[in-house]
Amino acid sequence: MAAVESELAVSSRRRPRWSRHRIARGVAPYALLAPATIAIGAVLAYPLYLLVRLSFERYGLFELIRHKGVWIGAANYTRILHDGQFWHVVLRTLAFTAVNVSLTMVLGTAIALLLVQLNSFMRMLLTAGLVFVWATPVVVAVDIWRWMVDSEFGVANWTLTKLHFGNFTHHDWFVNPWSGFAVITALVVWGAIPFVTITVFAGLSQVPDELLEAARIDGARPFAVFREITLPLLKPIFVILASLSIIWDFQVFNQVWIMLDQRPSSDYFLMSIYSFFESFRISEYGLGSAIAVVMVLIMLVVTSFYVRQMVKAGEVR
Amino acid sequence: MKARVIAAVLLAAVLAAAATTASGSVAKHNATTVTVWLQDDAKNGWADAVAAATRSFQAKHPGVNVDVQYQQWTTHLTKFDAALAGNNAPDVIELGNSETAKYMAAGAFAPIKAKAYPNSSKWLAGLKSSCTYNGKLLCVPYYAGARAVIYRMDYYRQAGIRSTPRSLNQFVADGKKLMKKFGKDGNFSAFYYPGKNWYATMGFVYDYGGQIAVKKNGKWKGALTSPQAIKGLTAAKSVMKALSRAPRTTDEAHPYPSIPFAKGKVASFVGNGWEWPYTLDPKVGNPGLANVMNAYPMPSHVKGRYMPTFLGGSDLAIPATSGNKTLAADWIAAYTSTANEKKMSDAGNIPNASNLAALAAGNPKVSPFARAAKYNWFVPISPNWSNVESGNVLQEMCQAIFTGRKSVRAAATSASNTITRILNTGS
Amino acid sequence: MSATPIAPTPVSPTTAHLVGRRRSARKRRAGRVGINALALLVFVVMVFPVYWMVSTAFKTGPDIFGYTPTWFPIHATFANFGDAIHRQYFWRDVANSLIVVVAVVIISLVLALLAALALAKFRFYGRRAFIVLIIAVQMIPLNALIIPLYIALSRAHEVNKLSGVIITYLTFVLPFTIWTLRGFIIGVPKDLEEAAMVDGATRFGAFVRILLPLVGPGLVATSIFAFIQAWNEYIIAYVFLSSPTKQTLTVWLASFTTNRGTAWGPLMAAATLTSLPVVVFFVLVQRKIAFGLTAGAVRG
Repeated sequence: MAAVESELAVSSRRRPRWSRHRIARGVAPYALLAPATIAIGAVLAYPLYLLVRLSFERYGLFELIRHKGVWIGAANYTRILHDGQFWHVVLRTLAFTAVNVSLTMVLGTAIALLLVQLNSFMRMLLTAGLVFVWATPVVVAVDIWRWMVDSEFGVANWTLTKLHFGNFTHHDWFVNPWSGFAVITALVVWGAIPFVTITVFAGLSQVPDELLEAARIDGARPFAVFREITLPLLKPIFVILASLSIIWDFQVFNQVWIMLDQRPSSDYFLMSIYSFFESFRISEYGLGSAIAVVMVLIMLVVTSFYVRQMVKAGEVR
Repeated sequence: MKARVIAAVLLAAVLAAAATTASGSVAKHNATTVTVWLQDDAKNGWADAVAAATRSFQAKHPGVNVDVQYQQWTTHLTKFDAALAGNNAPDVIELGNSETAKYMAAGAFAPIKAKAYPNSSKWLAGLKSSCTYNGKLLCVPYYAGARAVIYRMDYYRQAGIRSTPRSLNQFVADGKKLMKKFGKDGNFSAFYYPGKNWYATMGFVYDYGGQIAVKKNGKWKGALTSPQAIKGLTAAKSVMKALSRAPRTTDEAHPYPSIPFAKGKVASFVGNGWEWPYTLDPKVGNPGLANVMNAYPMPSHVKGRYMPTFLGGSDLAIPATSGNKTLAADWIAAYTSTANEKKMSDAGNIPNASNLAALAAGNPKVSPFARAAKYNWFVPISPNWSNVESGNVLQEMCQAIFTGRKSVRAAATSASNTITRILNTGS
Repeated sequence: MSATPIAPTPVSPTTAHLVGRRRSARKRRAGRVGINALALLVFVVMVFPVYWMVSTAFKTGPDIFGYTPTWFPIHATFANFGDAIHRQYFWRDVANSLIVVVAVVIISLVLALLAALALAKFRFYGRRAFIVLIIAVQMIPLNALIIPLYIALSRAHEVNKLSGVIITYLTFVLPFTIWTLRGFIIGVPKDLEEAAMVDGATRFGAFVRILLPLVGPGLVATSIFAFIQAWNEYIIAYVFLSSPTKQTLTVWLASFTTNRGTAWGPLMAAATLTSLPVVVFFVLVQRKIAFGLTAGAVRG
């Protein structure tokens, strides 16, 4: 084997037209990156600049109509940071994100592992079901869940009462924010599982069979196989999924907004709702933009661990 | 082989995208277009009025296109804000009458010359005030909506009620008869009154002479702690306790009372004119109730008068950034013609002018609501009012009172203070 | 990790069962039943809300609102679907959605694959900055971008055009797609590529013949993601597209909820119809995931 490796090394050094390859290699990455960069940059560059600039301006409806904001420096930011409600919202959003991401990753991976064990018919069935869940538009999914927990006609109340878990007739799940968020968490995790499952499953399918066979022949138990072989190979995918889940769950908006009839009480404010509220409901676009910028900064900090991992992972060997 | 497939697919995508770009650019080059944003109520209810307006407008202005685009209540203001920011605002826009204040204060609308519009001298005062800011007229009343008590004649008869109540006391007495007759069913309500239905509850407040807020010397002050308002809130609480099994934490739209009503669990409820045909819609309700339903204005505690109803409705405005202001004004004038108001009235709305009330009077499904509109109330006209609504101040006050979490006085005080603070922001 | 051979030894799926024969046949059957039961349970729990949506689409009004839930639509009716399909602009909106989605999926896959290759296989100046930028872009809340995006697109005359919506969706979809594909490319052992090149293949040839099929499952997962993002997006489509002839299916779907009572039956029927194309797309591409599983066998 060592002989094969050194032969490879030698052959790559002896590759003909060495200098032309060197120049091509120098330009190649930039050429490959260019189309995607242009696509994103062309659309987002100016809006991003606007967003940041707005966060430093007073920009209400009056200013919006005249297309001219009033520069007020960091006043929006100081206002946010001194607002007691802001810190509650940040903590609430962080807690919400932590719970949702953990549940999604654990359950999603568990179902992916289950999928691997199934015969192809059951696998097709379960995957099709998951895709149908994934395909349901968020707005519709929220409508359905809202209706399932409806206080008068909801299935949930009826079933719980029938199963003698207590008297749930006319029980309103959203009077108490804890139970309300429990419902919303269930909804968010339910909607997020299919994506995690299918991506992890795709990753699992890349684990070479012969590695698993070798381990099994050696007598390793399934959990050990998972921990020693599968997990390390899937690490890049887990890191990506976890960081993306954090980013997405931190920005959850529709599920709370629509579930509470576009009028969430302040106990239900997550950062995205707080930002939207300030921008569009109270028409303080400058303030709303500042909140959005703070959101991005918080997310950068929270995901910095994962980001560093992603940057380091897959350094060209 | 694979490379060829990829290339072909890419080409197709690029062509598709190009095609969509091309189709857009041909549209606007020579003909002037008047862009109108109406809500989908018009599309579903009186689309022929829209067509008639466009026809008569185009007779006057041949060669001008009219592009009517239907919007959705939940997100149309977001779209309007974006359009204003991007200089793409329409020439005519419909807004709910409680949405206009903010935009009027910001100078978003062009001034209106009342004389150019039909029936303008008799416009309903409630609607006209939602179009007036600092003495200037900034939009055109479109149609109004009022609430009345929708009830089941057969249930009333079976409970021994011979005629509809003329006073609040009579109403409660009748309701108690209904509860006695049918109340054994745990889901039955003589009067379905959900806890967060602040429209109905404020009706009680205004009936007893109270108000939500008053403006003195340019400053707003929440007025829910006045003795009259407290009396009204207390009356509402006792009515709810005696006659309603509706949840104390839901509002008037989740579910629409029409739903339990159609299931026979409700004898009466306060609803908009359109909630009557909604109950009979086979897709959600029970068409079999057509012959046993009727409506009457909610009686006041003063005999012979009606409890003030919230005067809902819509207005039509011309954004100040429009380049076709005269054309827009002509279209609106064509749209709010007497003939069209009749069509809207047939669809269950109240016409925008008092001299047109007769149009509604002839229609038994609309006239109780038109009559109820005689006594009406409206929210304080302040650009900050929408923040009070978005902040759920009144809904939460109602919920606190009716779930017993707070006393009437405590809840009213807290709400009043919040309203004072919000309405005075920025002034 | 042990020094495993570079050239993969062909292991067909059947040999796996040979290994497992050590366990008794009864235990294996019980295990199989248990696994299937678990899968069925997961299926029921996950799919129930979707089942509720679809069954409501077939229900008549009185069955939809009941104090006692109607578990199965005994009096099934197609009226709701008819109502939904006959609404104005339905087919036009379907076409618009399809155009947008096809463009977004194809363009994003191509651009993302190229970018992912660059990030995974090369070392170059600015790599880390690009990575961080790509991640940060996804952190910007969409609602905060609505007005700035509108202003920018309006200046470029891309408002009320499908192309404007397409390029906006690309910016949502690309970062994630680039990330995920990079993860998949990294996951492929480099030795396989090198082995192919020893045989005389060019780098591009190695890419097409070895890497692409192995990254196949990743392409499939990301294409489903791109499809769903583009298909179900609402607020951008609603704000940017004004003419009813240009709007997408999600805007059409939202028109079922009015201020005068929601038509639940037709809404659920419309939602079911809206969800179908994604499922169809998945069924078409799902074979690729299975292909990845047996790739080990075929390679040798």
